[in-house]
Amino acid sequence: MIEVKNLRKEYENITPLKDVTTTIHDGDVIAIIGPSGTGKSTFLRCLNMLEQPTGGQIFINGEEITAKGCDISRIRRKMGMVFQSFNLFGHMTIIENVMYAPVKRLGMSRQEAYDKGMQLLKTVGLAQKAMNYPDELSGGQKQRVAIARALAMDPDTLLFDEPTSALDPTMVGEVQSVIRDLSKSGKTMIIVTHEMEFARQISNRVFFMDEGGIYEDGTPEEIFENPKKENTIRFIRKLKVLTLSIDDRNYDFPDANNVIENYCYKNGISKTACLRLQAVVEELCQHILMPVLEDPHILVTAEYASSTGETDVSVQYNGKPFDPAKTEDELAYSFLKANVGSLHYEETGEALNNLVKITL
Amino acid sequence: MKKRVLSYFALIAVVTGLFLTACGKTDDAAVNTDKEYTSLDELADKTIGIQTGTVFDVITAERFPNAKFKYFNSLPDLLGALETGKIDAFPADEPQIRVTMLEDPAVKMLDERLDRFDFGCIFPKTGKGEELRDRFNEFLSKVKEDGTLDEIRDIWFGADESRKVLDDYKNYPATNGTLTLATEGAYPPFNYYKDNAIIGLDVDLACRFCKEYGYGLKVKAMNMDATISSVATGKADFAASGITITPERAQSVNFSEPYFSGGTVMAVRGGSVSAGDPLTSLWESFEKTFIKEGRYRLFLRGIVVTLLITVLSVIFGTALGFVTFLWCRKGCRFANMITNFMIWLIQGMPTVVLLMILYYIVFGSSPIPGGAVSVIGFTLTFAASVFDMLRSGVDAVDRGQTEAAYALGFTDRQAFFEIVLPQAARYFMGSYRGEIVSLIKATAIVGYIAVEDLTKMGDIVRSRTYEAFFPIIAVAVCYFVMAAILTAFVGCLTQGVDPKKRRKNGFLKGVRMHD
Repeated sequence: MIEVKNLRKEYENITPLKDVTTTIHDGDVIAIIGPSGTGKSTFLRCLNMLEQPTGGQIFINGEEITAKGCDISRIRRKMGMVFQSFNLFGHMTIIENVMYAPVKRLGMSRQEAYDKGMQLLKTVGLAQKAMNYPDELSGGQKQRVAIARALAMDPDTLLFDEPTSALDPTMVGEVQSVIRDLSKSGKTMIIVTHEMEFARQISNRVFFMDEGGIYEDGTPEEIFENPKKENTIRFIRKLKVLTLSIDDRNYDFPDANNVIENYCYKNGISKTACLRLQAVVEELCQHILMPVLEDPHILVTAEYASSTGETDVSVQYNGKPFDPAKTEDELAYSFLKANVGSLHYEETGEALNNLVKITL
Repeated sequence: MKKRVLSYFALIAVVTGLFLTACGKTDDAAVNTDKEYTSLDELADKTIGIQTGTVFDVITAERFPNAKFKYFNSLPDLLGALETGKIDAFPADEPQIRVTMLEDPAVKMLDERLDRFDFGCIFPKTGKGEELRDRFNEFLSKVKEDGTLDEIRDIWFGADESRKVLDDYKNYPATNGTLTLATEGAYPPFNYYKDNAIIGLDVDLACRFCKEYGYGLKVKAMNMDATISSVATGKADFAASGITITPERAQSVNFSEPYFSGGTVMAVRGGSVSAGDPLTSLWESFEKTFIKEGRYRLFLRGIVVTLLITVLSVIFGTALGFVTFLWCRKGCRFANMITNFMIWLIQGMPTVVLLMILYYIVFGSSPIPGGAVSVIGFTLTFAASVFDMLRSGVDAVDRGQTEAAYALGFTDRQAFFEIVLPQAARYFMGSYRGEIVSLIKATAIVGYIAVEDLTKMGDIVRSRTYEAFFPIIAVAVCYFVMAAILTAFVGCLTQGVDPKKRRKNGFLKGVRMHD
């Protein structure tokens, strides 16, 4: 059990944690979410004293680790940590990375550490890389080794500091699935993450951090479906709804692709759906609408419904009534049709007179 | 882009070449090697070579205010410069030039003297030094009266080599203590090396004095300017090194009565030397440099001294740099301030200046020998480089490595030694090897503080053979070989540093693998 009382952390010109008090029970799997710069990582790093708190107390199983003279190294051996940047030891092979600390710090025999290390590498699917060096591995593989290394100490608690943020999107899945399996093992886990769908799937408790502390604390359903407090509501909504406002002939379409990718990533929207969404914006807005609109003003809204797993897109624009089906750019239109589930055009009589409703 | 860089290089090379040629031209214009001088006045506006530590420049400037001076460290350097036309003449003591003319026909002296001078022994300006000086004066007046001094002079200026031997001074009973004599060892016939020992009139005189008064005697060779400062700081009890008595010097040391009076003459290029069979003369030079009087032993001794200074400085310097780094590692402001100040001090001055400060000022009044002072000096400079290397090497290791180690329950010390240092080593090992090679070359300056290392030994051999080629090349080759051996040795020691070269199962030794 981890008890945090009035934890405070100040830097010279910023105070990310003002006053944090909470209790984490054994077996809790906690996802920490929130806007950037709200002290999520700082809070996590205070839990194993990688950051020295400025004030407050932290108790682990009743022992105050913030007290002077506390042997923090001993506590840390029971608290594994996985970093955003992997931090595998570059001068050791993979198996040495995994077995070094158990041998040196726990006094385990090399044979036992090796057997256990290989077992763990098998669990994360990397047994055949045991004799390689970290720089010969991909990012996702490195992170899986880092998880195995943390597990080799047989910790009670695992801390994950944005474990997939530094990864290529193609490698996020492999790491997430390892963590997902772990979340069922009964170990206490605390994860700082930006992937909301992932957070919702694995956690039994979510901390939404803002304003220098845990702003709202609840089950994934409470936080993601029925957030109570203002900042949480705004955050969750912004997370689920994507809006693009295109009102310039020189609009930065490549950047729009980026924004879409980011949005899909956070919501766990599939790669295919993501590409389709990008195709819609590109074909419909850039190739079909832009040439015919005199003073373009286009509003794209996408909303992901996690209950059905579907994404609804609406595109509103100004000007005379114009059905995209009547475009001269037949190639673009056929491409658009190929990428959507259904497409429906109507006139609304509002400021943005035209509305195209699309399901992906 | 590449082409442009190349053309810049070409431009720089051309400009440098032109500059060097121009410099060479001005040198040539000043000195005409064909010209044979016959009278002193012809030299009035010529380029004159001066041995540093002597007063010849003052004497010459009085007579020829328009003469241009170039300074050289030793007689062999002056001879080399004279023969290759870098200077037109150099002033020297008459007896010395007479001896040189016997060996080297390319040099002659002009009959007209520049001035007269007296040689005296020098003693520290202390109570003990004055007492010793008085005794020496007493001894001197006695040997002048009974004709012993004339006899000594006949021996050392004569052509009969068999008489030029010293008493067995190393076994003097030393009932009144042992005296240390400072002398240059490169100034025949007063003091010079023969058969790997310093002999000469100066040493002979000192021997007889010590024998008479019941002292033991230790002879130390050092550069001319070092002899005076050694006596002044009490590092040596007295010096006899053909030292001209001047009021300027008398301010820092006490002079004895003169034991030799002579004159300053100008040495100029003599008649052309008949060039013999090149192969024969090459063999003769080789024989003179290495075999005659067993001179190769001088080189060997020099190699041992150079190696000893280098290896000890590397060991102590590495240890000192490492300990200092550990002391400063955690960012203690006090430790860092002191260390940075020391490094600033050590690296801010030429090593030769550092050595002289250590030898004459810091350890000026203690009996620590020059060799030990060299080791201390180079230990300091090497430690400073090791510290810098460690600092940048450790900085290059990602902070995350330490954090990962902490998170696994390593203490700060364990994380540093087991995780950070092995990775930092990869970054600094290359420059570490480079520093060792630089160090072995840098030790060539220890001759300044009376240490007989390889370079100094090369100088000593040159002062006996009047030949530059073989001693200098031999010294260069020795440095190359030593540097190569040391580098290879350090390479072997540090092979485990690169993990990829390390045997892959180092940590897994004895572990049973399943597949």
